[in-house]
Amino acid sequence: MADAGRAGVGVTNPSPVLELAHVSKSFVGVRALQDVDFRLRPGQVHALVGENGAGKSTLIKVATGVYHPDAGEIRLDGSPVHFASPLAAQEAGISTIYQEINLVPLMSVARNLYLNREPRRFGLIDAARMRRDARRVLREYGVNVNVARPLRELGLGAQQMVAIARAVQIDARVVIMDEPTSSLEHREVETLFGVIERLRHQGIAILYVSHRLDELFRICDAVTVMRDGRVVHTGAMRDLDRLHLVSLMLGRDIAEVRRHGTTDFGSAHHIGDRPVLRAENLSSRRVLQDVSLEVRPGEVVGLGGLLGAGRSETAKAVVGALHTEAGRIEVDGAQVRRNSTAAAIRAGAVLLPEDRKSEGIVPNLSVRENIVLAALPRISRAGLVTRAKQDEIVDYFMKRLRIKASSPEQKVGELSGGNQQKVLLARWLCLNPKVLLLDEPTRGIDVGAKAEVQGVIDELAKDGLGVVLISSELEELIEGSNRVVVLKDGRKVGELTGDQVSEDALMQSLAQAPGGTPRTDG
Amino acid sequence: MAEAALRRPALDRDRLLSLLQNYGVYAAIVLLVVVNAAITQNFLTLANLRVQLYQAVPILVVALGMALVIGTEGIDLSVGAVISLASAMIPLYLGYGPWAAMGTAMVAGAVSGVISGSLVAFAGVQPIIATLALMIGLRGLAVILNGASAKEVSDPLIDGLGTGDWLGIPQMAWVAVVLVGLVAFLVNRTTFGRQLVAIGDNRAASALSGLPVRRVLMTVYVLSGVLAAIAGILLVGYGSYADPSNLGLNYELNAITAVVVGGTPLSGGKVRVLGTVAGAVLMQLITATLIQHDVKASIEQMVEAAIIVAAVYTARGRSGR
Amino acid sequence: MAAGSRFPRGHLRPVLAVLAGTALLATGCAKSAGQSGGGGGGGGGASSPSSDSAAATGGQQQVASGGTTGSCTYKKYGAPKLDLKKTVVGFSQSESTSNPFRATETNSITSQAKNLGIKLIQRNANANISQQNTDIEDMIAQGAKVLIVAPENAGVAPALRQARAKHIPVLAIDRTVNGTACKDFIGFIGSNFLGQAKIAADDLGQALKGKGNVAVLQGTSGNNVAADRTNGFNQELKQKYPNIKIVASQTANFDQATGQKVMAQMLQSHSNITGVYAENDTMALGAIQAMRSAGKTPGKDIKIVSIDGIQDAVKDVASGVIYSDIETNPRFGPLAFQTLQNFYSTGTGSKVIIKDHHFTQSNAAQALKNGDVY
Repeated sequence: MADAGRAGVGVTNPSPVLELAHVSKSFVGVRALQDVDFRLRPGQVHALVGENGAGKSTLIKVATGVYHPDAGEIRLDGSPVHFASPLAAQEAGISTIYQEINLVPLMSVARNLYLNREPRRFGLIDAARMRRDARRVLREYGVNVNVARPLRELGLGAQQMVAIARAVQIDARVVIMDEPTSSLEHREVETLFGVIERLRHQGIAILYVSHRLDELFRICDAVTVMRDGRVVHTGAMRDLDRLHLVSLMLGRDIAEVRRHGTTDFGSAHHIGDRPVLRAENLSSRRVLQDVSLEVRPGEVVGLGGLLGAGRSETAKAVVGALHTEAGRIEVDGAQVRRNSTAAAIRAGAVLLPEDRKSEGIVPNLSVRENIVLAALPRISRAGLVTRAKQDEIVDYFMKRLRIKASSPEQKVGELSGGNQQKVLLARWLCLNPKVLLLDEPTRGIDVGAKAEVQGVIDELAKDGLGVVLISSELEELIEGSNRVVVLKDGRKVGELTGDQVSEDALMQSLAQAPGGTPRTDG
Repeated sequence: MAEAALRRPALDRDRLLSLLQNYGVYAAIVLLVVVNAAITQNFLTLANLRVQLYQAVPILVVALGMALVIGTEGIDLSVGAVISLASAMIPLYLGYGPWAAMGTAMVAGAVSGVISGSLVAFAGVQPIIATLALMIGLRGLAVILNGASAKEVSDPLIDGLGTGDWLGIPQMAWVAVVLVGLVAFLVNRTTFGRQLVAIGDNRAASALSGLPVRRVLMTVYVLSGVLAAIAGILLVGYGSYADPSNLGLNYELNAITAVVVGGTPLSGGKVRVLGTVAGAVLMQLITATLIQHDVKASIEQMVEAAIIVAAVYTARGRSGR
Repeated sequence: MAAGSRFPRGHLRPVLAVLAGTALLATGCAKSAGQSGGGGGGGGGASSPSSDSAAATGGQQQVASGGTTGSCTYKKYGAPKLDLKKTVVGFSQSESTSNPFRATETNSITSQAKNLGIKLIQRNANANISQQNTDIEDMIAQGAKVLIVAPENAGVAPALRQARAKHIPVLAIDRTVNGTACKDFIGFIGSNFLGQAKIAADDLGQALKGKGNVAVLQGTSGNNVAADRTNGFNQELKQKYPNIKIVASQTANFDQATGQKVMAQMLQSHSNITGVYAENDTMALGAIQAMRSAGKTPGKDIKIVSIDGIQDAVKDVASGVIYSDIETNPRFGPLAFQTLQNFYSTGTGSKVIIKDHHFTQSNAAQALKNGDVY
């Protein structure tokens, strides 16, 4: 690109440590990268943005030796290199923290931190030293835990921190962070930013991928925008404003973006009187205590709270996916048997789970089969699958939700996160539910898809559906919800209605709520 | 430079691997048939075809059930023992007539399936452990029931299933065709089949989507038990005798091999019925080729091992990328 | 497992109840073909092992060479002096009694012990060598002071070492074990497997009039009986019948179903097979079935010679389906206990080779009638 040369931020413009020149990469039928130029300079935090499918992941994978470019060159310190494997890239000083945490859950925290490069003594692993070092290193990342415990006992956020610490420890010269904050708490994000600042001073180059625009503007020096496998802009972060950036990502007019705002929530509509969902005194050993929740038709009720407050657990309890010992659930006036997802679904209460990959999609089945998965018994005759009816449903929802797939027969596992989320939405919408519980519906999906999902939620509420919304993004929660129920330590500690639904009020409610110190371990 | 040269083969390797995974078994069968036609006496004769059929069908029938279980990310090690149990039932109940004897054998298979199914679906025991316990226990039970001696079975109906013809085609072949058709239909065209695959691919997601996970698992193990029992009946018919100590030995391994070679991944979420047929046929052809050329059994085992490794490698090769 | 944790272990109990119920149900109202009087195995008790009273008439083992007297005594062996009648004797059977040979062997040992008033404990390892080791160790723990072992193969060595360490003498029957006689074990009683194979080769040579193509069904590989029976046959054939060619030689694991499968394959690739040597009778029976389904007439198109002498096979000898059958006499009881008694008094030999019957069409019917066949 023509303007690639003026990306510098500092007084001097150091020569790039990692450089991709005219790189192209195709997969069967798809050109994922087309003639991409990209330069990463030491001491620079470089944002890589774009919608899902724009080619960010492919770029990262080419740079780290996971994929080999079809054409073009990768240069490290100006000389061409060929990374035979991710390990080769790692040995050359390129460390990557992937979106999905790639650690070994059953191994101890310390082992994970030093996996494959354990401190040795007489040829054996020096466990005592490893634990000592691990404790010291992790403290710098704000993680104070027993490093001898298995990693899986840590919260997602702490696990992510371990992954970051591990990546940086490997004498990295380039650190690639792919959505590092997606599972972090606010406090943890601040720690991470501190770490990034330190790395920058050490002259390490950082490639930072995130959908959270606020973060980008806060910590990044340079930005590269990708769209449809091409680089459409490279330059200093400070030369761009938010609107401009979004318009570059979407490839739309600034004026058009301005009309939409940052979220697609907000249109006022009628809310019914008779609750469509009434959950009373739900209790589940150790995680929930006497949580009650009411949702009226057309209403979006947000669940507020920190990680571990019991938001996901409340949603799961309502649809029978979390075992409850006590409580009562009513959908549309009729009582629903607890602890049975099938019963909840029959009654019309459905949950879009937080963990799309492990609890949502069935990766090797097609888009079509994923959409009709829950509806299968309803649209079958005598246990036999009827294709015509399926195609009708699938066609309708693929159009309505604008699901981008090569065909209904494409495997869901091959779709981008945003499209997978839409497939899951379609799975529920084709059942004509009465209450839709959404747990982090826009996590890890790109700006465009996010707006679309938010738009759909709004539309559904307008049509009289009751919606429960869980979101770690305050903005989304506040703008999306008509009412917010605040949870803490598995209890309901407050409720915000009308004008109270604001970020400040929510913060205050969280701060004031009784019940000791907030849990931050997730 | 070098990269330009590298690019081509890399792409072709992906394609080749994907082709191998999808059509490798069939290609191997064609290759073996062609090679045998050239080097083996009397290979392309009807008589030889029949011999191979008689020997392949019982394994195939077991493998069909195994494929269903593997599709749910499970495994059924009890099938060999179920064959043994079914074979013990036949002489025991032949006095009530062949249908009753065969019926009892199938009920025994179903009951075994209910036990392993309950252990897996309700008690949450890992499939390999649950069915391992049955594998050991059922054969013992079969030997006790049968009185610890091989028994001759000379019933025209049962022996006919093993060696007789219907419309000029071995009855065993008819049984195989019907069962393959039923299982293929079950997997591809019924709600149950689609749910089975979904549960194997992502059990948590299936449960959250309200699928009857436990019922499906239970049914799958029952089907596997019944199919193994049918294989047991065929084996008794083929040999005209019931020997619970020896019948069905290692059939669980042969069935798993056929399933894996046929392209059904052990990680579940996919059931390839025709692939399983091809897997059973391929393994049979390999055995036949080696025996007919008087190759030592130990070498035969090594060849089989190589085939399994190759099959698993091609399956991995693609998903790993 | 997520599903599992939600359900109490109590679910296991009905499962066990079902299993137990099935066992009861399965036997409770069983009715075999024999009971209904219809068909069955062609002749009363065809497939059930003969009772010991039959064995007592003409079928008893005779010594061919060696003998139950010799120089090996408990003193030389380093074992304590015992009175057999006041001692617990352990018997370890290697394989399932679904094979008549094994059933008869076990019966013979058991009934001879009863006749002599000796307390016998016994185990069956069902062809599992590690099981046999466990069996032997268990019997030692149970107080067996003398052991009669029918070993599966040389893999029983660990258990035998343990017996040696505890000065418990071991007598090997039907297959031998590794080591020195009268030191690691008392001695061996059994057939001359090489000799059996040579007789089989001579029979087949005569049947084929010195010319033909032969297929061999071998026993389990790695088993010394199978090795002897293969080598003896090959040597004899090479020496005396140079015009007989072995066109195929494959293992069928001493198993009927495998014998049938392997024979079926061989018949396809070698349509010119005129003779078959089966290293045991069950494989021969499987082979006969394979020949019939391939449209060949055993005894006419293909001559069969086999080893072991079980009833079903000897009947086929009488009817001409099998050309000849060399017995492996499993009635070890009398000789085994005689050997042990001598061991504790005047001394016994270290290798007792028994005389085996040789069933041909001329004597098979008579032998069956006499009850000489097990």
